[in-house]
Amino acid sequence: MSRHQAVRNMDWHDALDEDQAYDSQEDELSAEDRAYLTQGTLDVQAALGVEASKVTVAQIEESLWYYYFDTNKTVDYLVKKFINPPQKAAPAVKKSDGYLLQKDCPAAAPIKPRQSFSHLFKDLPWGNIPKDRETVFIAPQMPRMGLLGGSSSAPSKMSKLQQLAAARKKKADERAAQEKFEETRTQMTELSVKEESRTKENIPIAGQFGKRLKTSELTAEGRKPLTFDDPERLGHRQPSPQEPPQSPPQGLETKSIAVAGAEDTVAVEKAEPSAFAQTLFGPGLDRSIPKLQDLSPMPYTGLPPSALEAFSKPSPDDVVLAAQAKAGKKTAVVQPKKKGASSADAVTSDIKGLKLEDAPLPKSRNLDVLLEFENSKSKKTASFVVVGHVDAGKSTMMGRLLLDLGVVDQRTVDKLRQEATNIGKSSFALAWVLDQRSEERARGVTIDIATNRFETDTTAFTILDAPGHRDFIPNMIAGASQADFAILVIDASTGAFESGLKGQTREHSLLIRSMGVSRILVAVNKLDMVGWSQERFDEIKNQVSGFLSATGFQVKNITFIPVSGLHGDNLVRKSTDPAAAWYTGATLVDELENSEPSVRALAKPLRMTISEVFRTPQSQVSVSGRLDAGSLQMGDALLIQPSGEKAYVKSLQVDEAPVDWAVAGQNAVLHLSNIDPIHVRVGDIICDPTKPIQCLDTFSMKALAFEFLMPMQVDVHRGRMHAAGRIEELTALLDKVTGAVVKKKPKIAKPATVARIVVKLGSKVPLEAGQRVVLRSGGETVAAGLLE
Amino acid sequence: MTDRRRINGPVGATIPLVFEDVEDYEQVATKAARSRAPNAVRKMYLKTGVTPSASGSAYLEIETSGKGGVSGLKLSCTVYGPRSLPRSSPFSPHIILSTHVKYAPFATKQRRGYLRDPAERDLGSHLEAALRGAIIADRWPKSGVDIIVSIIEGDQDRETSKTQGDEAWDIMNALSGCITVASAALADAGIDCVDTVAGGVAALVRDTADSSPSIVVDPIPSEHEKILASCCVAYLPTRNEVTNLWYKGDLPASDMELYTKLVEKGIQASTNANRVLLECLGETVN
Repeated sequence: MSRHQAVRNMDWHDALDEDQAYDSQEDELSAEDRAYLTQGTLDVQAALGVEASKVTVAQIEESLWYYYFDTNKTVDYLVKKFINPPQKAAPAVKKSDGYLLQKDCPAAAPIKPRQSFSHLFKDLPWGNIPKDRETVFIAPQMPRMGLLGGSSSAPSKMSKLQQLAAARKKKADERAAQEKFEETRTQMTELSVKEESRTKENIPIAGQFGKRLKTSELTAEGRKPLTFDDPERLGHRQPSPQEPPQSPPQGLETKSIAVAGAEDTVAVEKAEPSAFAQTLFGPGLDRSIPKLQDLSPMPYTGLPPSALEAFSKPSPDDVVLAAQAKAGKKTAVVQPKKKGASSADAVTSDIKGLKLEDAPLPKSRNLDVLLEFENSKSKKTASFVVVGHVDAGKSTMMGRLLLDLGVVDQRTVDKLRQEATNIGKSSFALAWVLDQRSEERARGVTIDIATNRFETDTTAFTILDAPGHRDFIPNMIAGASQADFAILVIDASTGAFESGLKGQTREHSLLIRSMGVSRILVAVNKLDMVGWSQERFDEIKNQVSGFLSATGFQVKNITFIPVSGLHGDNLVRKSTDPAAAWYTGATLVDELENSEPSVRALAKPLRMTISEVFRTPQSQVSVSGRLDAGSLQMGDALLIQPSGEKAYVKSLQVDEAPVDWAVAGQNAVLHLSNIDPIHVRVGDIICDPTKPIQCLDTFSMKALAFEFLMPMQVDVHRGRMHAAGRIEELTALLDKVTGAVVKKKPKIAKPATVARIVVKLGSKVPLEAGQRVVLRSGGETVAAGLLE
Repeated sequence: MTDRRRINGPVGATIPLVFEDVEDYEQVATKAARSRAPNAVRKMYLKTGVTPSASGSAYLEIETSGKGGVSGLKLSCTVYGPRSLPRSSPFSPHIILSTHVKYAPFATKQRRGYLRDPAERDLGSHLEAALRGAIIADRWPKSGVDIIVSIIEGDQDRETSKTQGDEAWDIMNALSGCITVASAALADAGIDCVDTVAGGVAALVRDTADSSPSIVVDPIPSEHEKILASCCVAYLPTRNEVTNLWYKGDLPASDMELYTKLVEKGIQASTNANRVLLECLGETVN
């Protein structure tokens, strides 16, 4: 039961009854108490003496009981209450003089001094304090100048300002006293002139305070302004007969009417400012407005010119710092100069060069890169992208290719196979040569582009292994944008080919065609699974070639090769399987070597898309990517778009070997200097500072529609870069072959038609005419085309 | 409401002991001497444009009577405006005056609090009444002006610790000063007024216990044995108008003549103040 309930359920009657019982018991006096009472009564009566007759025994007993048998208190009480009641008697005797009576009071109590009292107040002089006992109050020093508060400093400690103020005040007082005397004298003599002076004083009032006051000469009621000499108004000031003329106020009145004017003029004089005001506003005589400006928050404007010049020259510290900087800069002052760099660029690079860097800027060798490139006896370079439906065996085939070419040694593959077997995916061992991320290995799919390179006798190839899964199409686009040609891998096993044709086989081929890749090798993979069946190969060949030519590939640029990626048949070496003897064509590598790389835009301004940004020991900011156009060399100034920041090429690598220059088509790693990593992101474009790429947010493009196109939200992909935007309008439908306008301003563009569209992006992005972009929406590629 | 934002002194603060020097005592004993003629006001010093950040400002100083330990009156007034009213306030076809009069904590014998007490509020409302008659209010619809008067030194005699209860009369002098200084600050702020308004005080005093009462202008309570009544007038000289009139004290109701005389004297004191005001404004203009 809670306490609350306990209280509620308590039997009040019982509880109270107990209390009462207790009370009644205690009501009876004990014998001891009674004895005390008797004794106390006797004591009290003795103490009261004669006065005892004025009180009854009962009264004494009651008060004793009340005071717990304290005899002294009881006596005191009884005297006050019954024997000598003071307050009651006082008003009756003397009505108004309460004070006196109170004074009398103590004297009226006759039996006041008692043992205990005298003990209590022993040695108390009661007013007649002897001199030696009196305390001595020491008056604090008065603050000067009549201010309430403030420090009490001795006159000798006065500050200069205070001394000045005091001296002024003294002077002013003296002068005032003299003036007053003079004034009164002159006024007495010139009493008759006061009328004139008064009217004179009134003029500026009207003059200064506005034309508004024109009417105030005679106010609305026709009253004249009040003047003390106005006889009308004086009328009521005449002494009335009732008033005694000698009474001071009236007398003053009558007399002062004449005097009033005179004394007014005394008061007109403005007082000199007090010391306080002088401290506030400066010397009293300077009341001009310009002085006020000294209160403005720029006190140094009033300083003498010598003081102002003090800060116009560099301080001693600055001189030393400048000298130190000069000494340190001697090595850093060497700046990269590119041929044909404009003077403005030179100026900016000068300014950049002024920065004190730990390491000096790289020295440019000022090579003619194109000449060097022609002279160099290096192999052809080509890059190709491997595309195809998911699980078509792209990565495995490339892994096998690298193994067979000796780029990857058998030991590595064995190790990978061991690891793959451990997690039950032994067939993925070759794919793991390229799929190196843990996530890719765990899921068994390629996620991002894997690059690798190998060399044949004539050509250096760069492999771009693209992901096949449709979730990673953006990465595939990035890969395709860097490729010269493509290998389309098709899974020949039953059912897989059909599903692939509907899936990414189709989308990828559309994309690589839109990205401008014209040469395509079709590797019909996993033919060993169907026993190297020629019928299957021909069936696939027919379907795919029909589809590819519809997509826009020329028949002569399409080559079909039956391969087995897992076993390496027809990749590097001819198939040894007798079932595959029907194929007499070239191997994949031979076909790759035969492929003519596309023409490089070497002479065009530099464009390089950044596909990776990382840190290396050489530089804080290293970027890798393919040079789309132009060339660069060590020490070049570069511009990063869209950040618009400048950087210098500290050093560069092509194919993991340090080189002095790089040209279009090469995949290069640049080590940049003089730039903060935050300005460089994947997808940015590195360009020539003299011919920078523009950042656009609206562009027009010729697009091949894969889906229905209408004004809608799209993602614009260009290489690594992608940005959100929307199709603003469809300008025209174009003829697929001739490019002539078929219809203006269509509402919609059907799939497989070409339309000119205007796209608006959410942010500015580096783009220029001739670039190929892909539009995607909702995870599907809706269009691809060329910027105009 | 307690003021939580400042560190105030202890609540039960005591007044410091006042020690009587013998000389001082003699001086006080022979006080009751008014150094001026009954109808002469004290000299005053007025200066405008003292606060650069305000639209208009003025500083007024009324000198002490020359007796030691008596402080004069020192006032500073700032005017902010005309400025637009806050969004929350209703439409007003004329300018809205808001006046604040505040004694500095150290201005008077009795230390003042930081918040305005009723006496200060009263002063503020009287000041507003006095100025409202002078300002051409309908020139600025939908706007307001803030007039803030700080009483830096409150015209009190430190020596009169025994004769308490003078505060009521000091307020009259303070109000007249407030009116004058606010008028100067308004002119400095460039707010159109029909005329300059100045305050003046007249009082009915009794110099000795048995003498008959007389009327003086600009009374200093410590100079008189008793002040019977006092009257503060705000007066527009060129228009001959009184914008504010404040009586205090008890006058016999029968003697109407006395009332008019007090007003006349107050007007006279006000005219004097107005001249100083005009002189000061003239200096500023030149």
